[in-house]
Amino acid sequence: MTETAASPSGPRGSQDPSITYRNPVAAHPITSTAIALLLLVTIGGTLIVPIYARITPKIGDFPFFYFYLLAYMPAVGVALWLVSLLQRRLEPPTAGSSDDSVREAAR
Amino acid sequence: MSNVNSVTFTIVVILFVLVTFIGFAASRWRRADNMLHLNEWGLAGRGFGTFITWFLLGGDLYTAYTFIAVPALVFGSGSIGFYAVSYTIMVFPIAYIFLPRLWSVSRVHNYVTPGDFIRGRYGSRGLALSMALTGILALMPYIALQLVGIQAVLSVMGVGTSSTNTYVKDLPLFIAFVVLAVYTYVSGLRAPAAISFVKDTLIYVFVLVAIFYIPTRLGGWGHIFGTAQAHYAAINPTTGKPNGTFIPTSKSIGATQFDFATLALGSALALFVYPHTITGTLASKRRSVVKRNMSLLPAYSLLLALIALFGYMAVADPVTAANVKKAGNAQLAVPYLFQHMFPSWFTGIAFAGIIIGALVPAAIMAIAAANLFTRNIFKEFFKPDASPALETRMSQWASLVVKFGALLFAIELPHTFSINLQLLGGVWILQVFPMLVGGLFTRWFHRWALLAGWLAGMAYGTIAAYNVKNATASHWASSSDIVFGHTIYIGFTAVIINAVIAVVLTLVFRAVKAPEGADETLPHQYTADPDKTPAPVPAGVGLGAD
Repeated sequence: MTETAASPSGPRGSQDPSITYRNPVAAHPITSTAIALLLLVTIGGTLIVPIYARITPKIGDFPFFYFYLLAYMPAVGVALWLVSLLQRRLEPPTAGSSDDSVREAAR
Repeated sequence: MSNVNSVTFTIVVILFVLVTFIGFAASRWRRADNMLHLNEWGLAGRGFGTFITWFLLGGDLYTAYTFIAVPALVFGSGSIGFYAVSYTIMVFPIAYIFLPRLWSVSRVHNYVTPGDFIRGRYGSRGLALSMALTGILALMPYIALQLVGIQAVLSVMGVGTSSTNTYVKDLPLFIAFVVLAVYTYVSGLRAPAAISFVKDTLIYVFVLVAIFYIPTRLGGWGHIFGTAQAHYAAINPTTGKPNGTFIPTSKSIGATQFDFATLALGSALALFVYPHTITGTLASKRRSVVKRNMSLLPAYSLLLALIALFGYMAVADPVTAANVKKAGNAQLAVPYLFQHMFPSWFTGIAFAGIIIGALVPAAIMAIAAANLFTRNIFKEFFKPDASPALETRMSQWASLVVKFGALLFAIELPHTFSINLQLLGGVWILQVFPMLVGGLFTRWFHRWALLAGWLAGMAYGTIAAYNVKNATASHWASSSDIVFGHTIYIGFTAVIINAVIAVVLTLVFRAVKAPEGADETLPHQYTADPDKTPAPVPAGVGLGAD
């Protein structure tokens, strides 16, 4: 198994990930906050029902409640895509090679 | 079989035969050198990219239950049924937080089931057993419900003999299920993955056509919403209460905003701890595939929102509403709506979509339950030295047993009962959330405290659900009850009790220095993105080999 090298009894080189591993959240406070906020707002926007539990204003023939829920879906997709972009900035330099778009293109 | 529409029937049969062919052919798809390994049969080689994973997870999440039961709930009660829309919105940001971590650690250690992870993380066979039992228990009625969905479509089609013997009457269902069981046995996860392409194409086509076409027949959206609003406000003569709610109310009891929110949040937390969704996740090849899918899967949620609206269309169409009332089964709302609105050939496509949409998740669920049994019960307690080939054979047989168990479930038990058991399944599976998701972020919780919390949550959830009664049922009437004067989802209350007990007892066990168990995982493994699975002979991997 590959991870035996990282077990406490194993030898530890400078490339040993258990030593070089640094919590990426601590390393990038602003990006991390942005990610956390984006996720929280996305969840809260549908969890806090009083925001949208009403009939008016109607959008076309759709009562607000139903329009809101439908319109939310594409918004979630975009929000999570933004989060994944922001998360790339969190990746530690050693994990730079794991940028999958590069790897997938290389295949 | 007197009133069967031959066009509809023929199209359903043709599509079913096509899917069966794909199911068997799938065993040759992405074929590996050594197929007798759970990574192959149970996870299809762990090599699916973004595109296939999207179809596979979509097939996992949106089941016959979604197509039949959500519109049925909307039809019967109104806006509260839209909790399912809110739930499928928030499930993706929530899953985004923990699912990539589960993928990474499972890839590094070659974990096949969530039970394997629990075993490795807490060094506790008992805790892994609780995960496996909960998973199997929660999946059985879920599979049974797929069958109930198929039955709903078949009964509207008029298929089925008039015999009074249930086994003869449900012969078509029986045949469909045997075929499914056999190709799952042969092809493993490859079968539902390949079939989900056909399934989702059918579903996207019929839902989009229906959503644009049916309103033109019913006088537009304004008329549909208007009729629904009036219908739910009207007083039902038998109960003396309104038929339902058009917008969740701000009162504290009934179809309230609070109930809506806790149902949505509870279901969202539960969805990605269900073993079958984890199976779909672990089959993907990269961490980024999991993340990318979280932003692509909301396309399915949009579909779900549209499907929920079918419930209102059924209310607005007098013929459908009368048919459903005559049958006394709200689950027939969507099949009757389609049958009345569409030409028979298109009804055939839609019905085939719903039937295949039930078979795909049933296969994935059976595989997930079988893997849990093999890895965390059979291998752990009966045959620790089981070879990968034996594990695979065991899983294949277990998948058959699970399927026929579910078939008996569906045929023997009254349908209202099995639906409520499914609700109970949601309550149950939510109880592994603290140990599974908690364990992905911290090792602070003590394994015995988690076990105690799990027990308490399971007991509370089961008893509370048993005690819910309404006008027509004395037990298991709903998945919500009233706590401190507010209507709330039972699973939500139960998991809070569960978590509080886990926290308090962890403090106690740490104070008395109870043995914590070994942890074979390391912090960086939760964010790792290994290209390949570890060597394919992991006899002891994930089972404390270190």
